Amino acid sequence: MTIETTHMMMLANTAAGPGWAGFILWFPLISLALCGLWSILRIKSKLPAWTTVGCLALAFLTTVALYVSYSEPVVIHLFDWFNLHWGSGAKAGSFVANFSLYVDSLTLLWMLFVTGLGTLIALYASEYMEPDVGKGYTRFFAGVSVFLFAMSCLVMGDNLVLLYLGWEGVGFASYWLIGYYYTKPSAVAAAKKAFIMNRIGDLGLALAIWFIWLNFGTVEFADLFAVIASGAYHTEAGGWSISAIPFLLMLGAFGKSAQIPLYVWLPDAMEGPTPVSALIHAATMVTAGVYLLCRMFPVMQLHELALPTVAWIGTSTAILSATIALAQYDIKRIMAYSTVSQLGFMFAGVGVMTTAGAAYHVFTHAFFKAVLFLTCGAIMHGFAGQLDLRKLSGIMRLRGWKVVSVTMLIGCLCLAGFPLTSGYFSKDMILAQAFTSGHSAVGWLLLFTAGLTAYYTFRVWFRVCIGPVHFEPGDEDHGDDHGHDDHGHGDHGHGDGKFHPHAPKWAVNFVLIAITVGAILAAIPYFMPSGEEGVKGGWVASMTLDSSARDGMYGVYAIEEKGKLFGADPYNAMYFVSAAFGLVGILIAWWLHLANRKAADALRAKLLANPLTRWLPTAMENKWYVDEIYHVFVRAPLWVIGHAFALIDRLFVDGLLVNGTGYLPRAVGRMFQPLQNGVLQSYAVLMAGGFALVVVLIVLVMPWLQPILADWMAGTGGAG
Amino acid sequence: MLMTSLLILIPLAAAVAIIFARVEQAKWIALGGSLVAFVWSLILAIRFDEWGGDGFALEGAVAWLPKFGISIAWGADAVAMMLVLLSTFLMPLCVWGSFTAITSRIKEYYGWLMVLLGAMVGVFLARDLVVFYICFEFTLVPMFFLIAIYGGENRAHASVKFFIYTFTGSLIGLVGLLYIAWRHSVFAGDWSFDIAALTAFAASELTAQEQAWLLLALMAGFAVKIPLFPVHTWLPLAHTEAPTAGSVILAAVLLKLGTYGLYRFVLPMLPDAVIEYAPFIAVLSIIGILYAALICWVQTDIKKLIAYSSVSHLGFCVLGLFALNPLGVQGSVLYMLNHGLSTGALFFLVGMIYERYHTRDMDRMGGLAKKMPIWAFFMVFFVLASVGLPGLNGFVSEFLCLIATFVATPEFTEYPGVLGPWYAAIAGIGMIFAAMYLLIMVGKVVFGPFKEPATEDHHHGEHTLPADLSPREIGVLVPLAVLCIVLGIYPKIATDAMEQNVQTTLAAYPAKVEAMLAARQQSAEDTQASKPAGTGVPTHAFEEPHESLTEMFSPARYESPMPLASTPIALIPAAHLPKGGTP
Repeated sequence: MTIETTHMMMLANTAAGPGWAGFILWFPLISLALCGLWSILRIKSKLPAWTTVGCLALAFLTTVALYVSYSEPVVIHLFDWFNLHWGSGAKAGSFVANFSLYVDSLTLLWMLFVTGLGTLIALYASEYMEPDVGKGYTRFFAGVSVFLFAMSCLVMGDNLVLLYLGWEGVGFASYWLIGYYYTKPSAVAAAKKAFIMNRIGDLGLALAIWFIWLNFGTVEFADLFAVIASGAYHTEAGGWSISAIPFLLMLGAFGKSAQIPLYVWLPDAMEGPTPVSALIHAATMVTAGVYLLCRMFPVMQLHELALPTVAWIGTSTAILSATIALAQYDIKRIMAYSTVSQLGFMFAGVGVMTTAGAAYHVFTHAFFKAVLFLTCGAIMHGFAGQLDLRKLSGIMRLRGWKVVSVTMLIGCLCLAGFPLTSGYFSKDMILAQAFTSGHSAVGWLLLFTAGLTAYYTFRVWFRVCIGPVHFEPGDEDHGDDHGHDDHGHGDHGHGDGKFHPHAPKWAVNFVLIAITVGAILAAIPYFMPSGEEGVKGGWVASMTLDSSARDGMYGVYAIEEKGKLFGADPYNAMYFVSAAFGLVGILIAWWLHLANRKAADALRAKLLANPLTRWLPTAMENKWYVDEIYHVFVRAPLWVIGHAFALIDRLFVDGLLVNGTGYLPRAVGRMFQPLQNGVLQSYAVLMAGGFALVVVLIVLVMPWLQPILADWMAGTGGAG
Repeated sequence: MLMTSLLILIPLAAAVAIIFARVEQAKWIALGGSLVAFVWSLILAIRFDEWGGDGFALEGAVAWLPKFGISIAWGADAVAMMLVLLSTFLMPLCVWGSFTAITSRIKEYYGWLMVLLGAMVGVFLARDLVVFYICFEFTLVPMFFLIAIYGGENRAHASVKFFIYTFTGSLIGLVGLLYIAWRHSVFAGDWSFDIAALTAFAASELTAQEQAWLLLALMAGFAVKIPLFPVHTWLPLAHTEAPTAGSVILAAVLLKLGTYGLYRFVLPMLPDAVIEYAPFIAVLSIIGILYAALICWVQTDIKKLIAYSSVSHLGFCVLGLFALNPLGVQGSVLYMLNHGLSTGALFFLVGMIYERYHTRDMDRMGGLAKKMPIWAFFMVFFVLASVGLPGLNGFVSEFLCLIATFVATPEFTEYPGVLGPWYAAIAGIGMIFAAMYLLIMVGKVVFGPFKEPATEDHHHGEHTLPADLSPREIGVLVPLAVLCIVLGIYPKIATDAMEQNVQTTLAAYPAKVEAMLAARQQSAEDTQASKPAGTGVPTHAFEEPHESLTEMFSPARYESPMPLASTPIALIPAAHLPKGGTP
């Protein structure tokens, strides 16, 4: 295996890039400013949507232009941000984190799908959010603009602090958009939960940044990688302070990308409007953790256990959330758990050191998961908020639902890893690398999870899209409080007392088809040359080749002997093994959820009837009680401590210490109060007594005290 | 002299004018006076030639009591000037924001605000200890009356407690400062209360023991003002009961008198004691950060919540100062400005709700975004600034304070410190708590199902307020919001301006910290030597170079086709290379 050093060498003199690349950031900001203006002007039309779609399309075109003109990693300085200097000469120091962009191929890969999908999903939302025109419409698109700006900062920042700005910025945009239906308590709670869970991860990232600065003296990527490559860093600061870095980075990544132990916010985030779920909570933002680990790949190798930890956390998350997805009935929630599970695959990919595979899976997942969410959204929109897969069936036969059903099928095939779909190839890269690198336990667990994935994915499709036609409308408030009565386009007038689902119109269908085509075409890069012998993944892999995502790879864990799978190269064997697992999953789903739906209910009833197995479906349906566990072990204790502190503050700190001290003079006053009895003689006696006391003091005490005082004065004076 | 004095005289003149004016004119005179003061401070700021420098400008002195070396001396360095600007910038907003809230004893109210402005500016401009102390204490008087007359139900108790508590603390501080002046008079043979002279004297001539006692005395004065845990309990009460403008000024400027005192007196005067006790003060700050944050979490009184959040936030500010490196001190000064802007704005916002509903009980309201979208927008905005969302001002200062604390280890070459990663890591939990309590508050009050407290009928204000914010109220908030954004994305204007100043203040520290560490190591070695062999403290494991890591990334490992000489050593800051040259 050839070893990549050219990239590191290149960083030493990173060239300055074209200034116009800054417009990738400025376009979303312009969109935000215009949305603000429209909101001040109280525009009650779809203008905000077109503004945002237009600006995002321009940002996408700028990204494409940057991609076309790209030749080597560049730094683009926009303006100074943190720019502190001190000392001079040998004692000089600085803390520099400017508003500058760092563009290498990894940046471009991420930006291409972030801005591309961002544009398409904004277009979808222009129709999806139509009922809110004049209400929250502008607020929604402003939030999307903020998100795109922050995400661009995250991906393009040339230093960790700007990355952190984007990191928290996307968290905030997510808070904004999850809480879009702000009168709904569940949406508000979900938004809050997302922000706080992310903050916990953010603290990990912040600590990692501080440790990096302490040890390497820089937070700028180009310098950082050069310092690490040179091996000339500040080891005196302590081995543990360097070893901690990858684990803290990991914590940040786990928060943003919803991995154990910080994954619980993502399923709840589905309270947001569906385009938000598709864009932020499936395709782009949640992959930021994978981006971080790819970007910081050299740093991730600072401790030998870091990457295996990532692999195992990813695998555990994948399997845990897949088991939860098996037992949910809300199709959007199933997709949410499947996102958590797929993110687990990506982390496992990073952990077994195929950043190319992880990036490729991010890329394909962005398309097919967006399709799946957007189809769920279309269904929810059309059936008045109905998301329960028990109450929807055979919608493909309804007029106008063909596009939705077919695109959903293709999305499901990709997610299930059906042979020759894009998801099949990208997942295989991760699975094969797990075996190649000797993590066969990870590989087998992920294979099993892939089977589960195929099952729960097709459980949704077989239930909802085909089979006998049968549906119940939702309660309209579920998810969206669109107030369907307010707008005219719904053809389900309540007048005839019968519910008619309204099929999606052109914008939704166009976007669904466009992204589905993208999901299909995403398989093509796999067959293109990756520019490196023995590395699959074609174009996507080549996009990681020229970046820090490949630095130091194979250097640390030089794979002497490649692992085998059934005696063959895992990359070849995996084509058949993973296909087998996927097909079995689909077959079981077909049997239980299309051919013989009663069997599924019977199975569940049987499991529930047996006291030995009853816990299994119950626990799975209740998401393994993780939320409850967090509540009991984290939130409740903190709440108790908070109340205890409030009480201590009132009774002890303020009550006893402060007011106690305050009462002291009064108490002393009380003590002497009897002396002021108003009797002249007693005053005279006291006066005489006081005088006598003073005389005694002067005569007897002073001679004794004087030398001591003089000594003390001499002591201080002498030193002065 | 006159130019600088005018800045204090303008508000005082406005106060006098208000006494003789008619009631309905009072607010306009106050607004005009404070605006003129603001414009004048801007003019001074433009003429100020110590931006980015380390000296004082706008200086002038008039002998007052020559026999005791007391003179009325003004002057400002970059840090003081920023705080002057903060005070003059906020006062017109406070006046404008009070237009409808104050309906009785109007003249007095605006008069006291003007006096308060004069006193605050005086504190920051004073170059004489006596003048400083007079102004420092005099800020209490207007604030006492503002709370006692215009406050909430419990105002009498709150105002008395506020006055006595902070006054007692300041008196102890005064004793400390007077001791320095007395020692100086013994040393120099003549009395002087010139702050510069006293600072130079104290830093070089006081013994370590004296410094320790003085630190205790000065901290008694300044820590109560800040307020640092455990002397913070006057603050929630005073804040909760104060009228809106009072709370704003209290949070935005009066608390900063404490941190400014630390910067002006404690850091430069008592370096030995500061180095010795910095960990102790840092621990108090961290306790304050977490303790107050958890108390915030269970508050139902929205104003009390924000008051406790100040205790939590100022903990970061103190932590930054005692990191003893430029990052932290610059971050801390920036924190003073930023906290003033965002928390000040939050108090305005709470005041706007109180003015409409006459309650601060979070349980009685909910989902106000539905009725008051503009208010909701600003509320969320300033909460985010307060939480430290990057891109807004709070983040920059919080990040700097924490990273400075983090690297304030003996190993940090340029400015060795006595704190370190653990301090920052534990304080950093405060960032999570901040998100928790503020977002829970937002979740209850701004979002969720709409719930409006019943307004009492007996509210008979002459002004009727619109459901959402009036243009005047928006006008109060917009300048604050703009500054939050500006300082968030371009903090360089502030950090550059004080860079030299901060370094000069810290000039003595690196050498002193190193000397202290060396002495400690020496004494540790002595102890070890005196012990029988084999039972000593093991040598620090981490002082060993991390072999495996160095190997892991050494260019040789990559069997590079490129010459090793091209390894970009030049990029590595020299200070961070391992001792003993480059590999």
